[in-house]
Amino acid sequence: MNWQMHLNKLRWVVLSMVMFMLILLPFLHLYQSYVAAHAYDLLSPAEKLIYDSMELISAPFVSDPETDLNSFKGTSWSGKLFGITLSDPLALLGQITASKHIYWPFVVTALIPILYSLLLGRFYCGWICPATFLYELNDNLGTWLKRAGLPISQRRLDRRIKYMVLLAGMVIGMLSSAVVFAAIYPPAIIGREIYYAIAVGGFGTGMVFFLLTLLFDLLVARRGFCRYICPGGALYALLGRFRVIRIQRNVLSCNDCAKCNTVCQFGLDPWHDDFGQECNNCSACIAICPTEALIFKIKTTDTTYQGAGHLGQEYKKQQGEKKPSPGEL
Amino acid sequence: MKRRDLLHRLVKSLGVIGFSSLPYGLSHLMMPRQVIAGQMHIPLPGAMSDYNKFTAACIGCGLCGEVCPPRCVKFYKNTEGAKANTPYIDPAERGCTLCGKCMTVCPTEALTETPVREVKMGIAQIDRVACYPWVDRGICGACVSICPLGDAAINFEFGNVYRPVVNTACVGCGLCVEVCPEPSLPIRIVDRSEPTVARHGMGVRRKVYQ
Repeated sequence: MNWQMHLNKLRWVVLSMVMFMLILLPFLHLYQSYVAAHAYDLLSPAEKLIYDSMELISAPFVSDPETDLNSFKGTSWSGKLFGITLSDPLALLGQITASKHIYWPFVVTALIPILYSLLLGRFYCGWICPATFLYELNDNLGTWLKRAGLPISQRRLDRRIKYMVLLAGMVIGMLSSAVVFAAIYPPAIIGREIYYAIAVGGFGTGMVFFLLTLLFDLLVARRGFCRYICPGGALYALLGRFRVIRIQRNVLSCNDCAKCNTVCQFGLDPWHDDFGQECNNCSACIAICPTEALIFKIKTTDTTYQGAGHLGQEYKKQQGEKKPSPGEL
Repeated sequence: MKRRDLLHRLVKSLGVIGFSSLPYGLSHLMMPRQVIAGQMHIPLPGAMSDYNKFTAACIGCGLCGEVCPPRCVKFYKNTEGAKANTPYIDPAERGCTLCGKCMTVCPTEALTETPVREVKMGIAQIDRVACYPWVDRGICGACVSICPLGDAAINFEFGNVYRPVVNTACVGCGLCVEVCPEPSLPIRIVDRSEPTVARHGMGVRRKVYQ
């Protein structure tokens, strides 16, 4: 058995954990502020429930919640994980273009994500991005709607639009000296809006934008925002153009079933060896491949089309071989 | 002669209207140019002094709000243009305790770590026509007792125990605004170039942050 076919399940575990953390951290923040204020007796019953449950969750790990919990903060836009500050490369790009000045401590926080993108391409898009979690669920909803008889649009737009969005965001940021990416980049919006909803009191206008992107995905193009508009996706795709680890097709064990093309939400063509810089390494094609023909390989370039899969009918026709009868096998 | 009569009437009524609106116009002229009604947003401690540079450096991650123990940090909505998602403090609702956690956690240069006494969020300004002790020897002293910086920032006027006077060491944390019991908020945080006593009369412009 190929262990890589289980990577998709692992990816869903990671995505759910990121989402869970994004919801948990604002509650932990509330708990911390209650602890700091020594205000347990003044809390309302709902706040007491938050206090008690968060105390139950965090008590085994921290001795002083007021300060110890500070090593987990923030969102995937910029946050602390085990006390290490990590920032999105898009935040770094936005900050540099807006203030026209490089602040090195901030560059250092973005180095680890940049390194991972150089190695793994749009790894962030498939494995960490909290918006991907919701977009994939939205895509599943689209599949259900289709089964129920509602037409779901599968339009194909130009992939280069997102690079234009990235460029436009940089130019607008430069002119208005504001990090405009923060307002249109779904993972930043999700993290912030969950925090606003829990700790500040109500969703902001960013949530409206996010809901519109969900509708865009349903009504215009499958995973359309990630594929055609997301500036972060564009940046990660550029960083991962010469990524070292990529999914490749083993032509010897491919049987031309084309399930990989159907399951690929990014509309790529693994069947014809067309991965390119857009692949987000989600490994859904590996999980669905019945003959284990798709695997991660250490390579810096995609292979060109290797011809029909050797287990398929097409290849046998090309070879002029007669179909083996069941008795021969 | 009917038309002439009408003209007379028109001129007279216009005169009456003009004369009766004179007090309103005069009072309008006497009012301060910029009325700061309720809304008073001040920057976070350690924020860059140039507000445009601050919005350019801030990536809107919300970490400053997430570490703030009194939860005084708020964020502008997406509809606010260049200010969108950047933090501010509304001292009328909740003041800053100068704990310094937001400065430590900020990943960018928007907030830099600053010693407490060198923070420049603004300066408190007292309106002596609205503050109880200044108006009629009321007994209060809430602002003086809450101040985390002590005598150097705010203390009582010599010889009268309850009349507060702001000194230059005030960093503008806004705790005094939060505790002030007078609903019209006679104490407020203004730009540091402003005097610590509110002026009244013609042509007075109050400068606030932004």
